[in-house]
Amino acid sequence: MSTSDEDPQTTQIPAVGAESPPARTADRPPAPPRPRGGKVRAAVRGFGELLITLGLVLLLFVVYELYVTNWKSGRLQNEASAQLEQEWRDAPQDQRQLHIDPADGQAFARMYIPTFGVDWSFTVQEGVGPEALEIGPGHYKDTAMSGQPGNMGIAGHRVGKGAPFNDLDLLNSCDPVVIETGDSFYVYRVLPMTGEVDGWADGKGARQRCANVAPLQHKQHAYDETFGRRIVLPSRGDAVSPVPYKARNPLPKASQASLLTLTTCHPQFSDAERMIIHGVLTNQYKKAQGTGYDDLLAEIGEA
Amino acid sequence: MYGWIWRHLPGPVALRVVEALVLVAAVVALLMFVVFPWLEPMLPFNDVSVQ
Repeated sequence: MSTSDEDPQTTQIPAVGAESPPARTADRPPAPPRPRGGKVRAAVRGFGELLITLGLVLLLFVVYELYVTNWKSGRLQNEASAQLEQEWRDAPQDQRQLHIDPADGQAFARMYIPTFGVDWSFTVQEGVGPEALEIGPGHYKDTAMSGQPGNMGIAGHRVGKGAPFNDLDLLNSCDPVVIETGDSFYVYRVLPMTGEVDGWADGKGARQRCANVAPLQHKQHAYDETFGRRIVLPSRGDAVSPVPYKARNPLPKASQASLLTLTTCHPQFSDAERMIIHGVLTNQYKKAQGTGYDDLLAEIGEA
Repeated sequence: MYGWIWRHLPGPVALRVVEALVLVAAVVALLMFVVFPWLEPMLPFNDVSVQ
C-alpha cells in the first residue's frame, strides 16, 4: 500500500494513485441522488445495451449457421447412410435395381468425390427441398438417374448443414465424381473448362485420366454452352435440362450424353448466383461381391 | 436492462450469478433451437438449387 509515514486515517491518495487500488466503496459517502437527466441517461444506456445484445445475437447466428446446423445434418446424414447401407445389404443381388422412383427425401444413392478425400461421401436424397438438402445433396426430381442418358442434377449446400459442396469450386476438368447405386458404380468426370476447350485433344485431353472426357460441343452443337464449370443466375433452371441450357430439348434421348450436373450457391455465403459443375459419364462398373469403393478407386487410377 | 435484471434477481450474489448464467443459457437455447431454425429459410444465403 502507500508508503507514506503519515497517519493512515488522513492519508490522501498519492500522485501514483492511478496505479494503487481505489478506495473501498464503503469508505465513500453515499452516492448523491440521481440528477434530473437520469431518464435520458437510462434511455441512452438501454439503447447501448440493446445494440450490444443485437451484436451478440448476430454472432450467435453465425455460430448457428456454421456449426450447429452441421451437427444436426451430420446426425441426419449418418442415419440416412446407415439406412441405405441396410437396404442394399438386405436386397438380393439381382434385385438391387430398386429406387427407380424413390420417395421424397429418401436416400437412393451415394456420391463420392475422391478429390475431396477418400472419406468424402454423402447419400443422395430425392428432391431439392429444404428437408432433403438438410440430410445431404439432393437429386432434382424429373432429371435423369445415374447412368441414364440425359442430365442427372444434384444440388447441395455450400455453407452449413454439412456443407457437402463447400469445395465445389476446387474441382478441375477430369476430376471424377462417383455415384454408387445398389448394383453399380458410375464414374463421371468434370468436363473441360471454358478456356480448355480449344486444343483439348493435344493438351490436357491427352492425359490418361481424361481418356473419355472431351468437349461435348465438338460432337454436338447443342452442347455449345456446356462446360466443366459455369456461374449462372438462380433462374437458370435449364442448367439441369437433359441438354444443359436448352429449355426446349433439341436432341432425342438416344443421342444425348449422360451428364451429371452439380449445383450450389455462389459466391460462398450468398445465393446471388449458382455454381454449376458439369460432368460426363466415363465408366460404369457392376458391383461385384466383396469389392467396394476402395477397389473402384484403384481401378480408375485415383487411389 | 442488464442492471435492472441483476437488481431483480433474488438471493445473495453467488446465487444471482448462477441465476444469471441459467438465464443466458435459456436465451441461447431459445435462439438456437427455436428462433434461428424459424428465421433461416427466410434469409438469402441457403438456396442452392436452380429453378
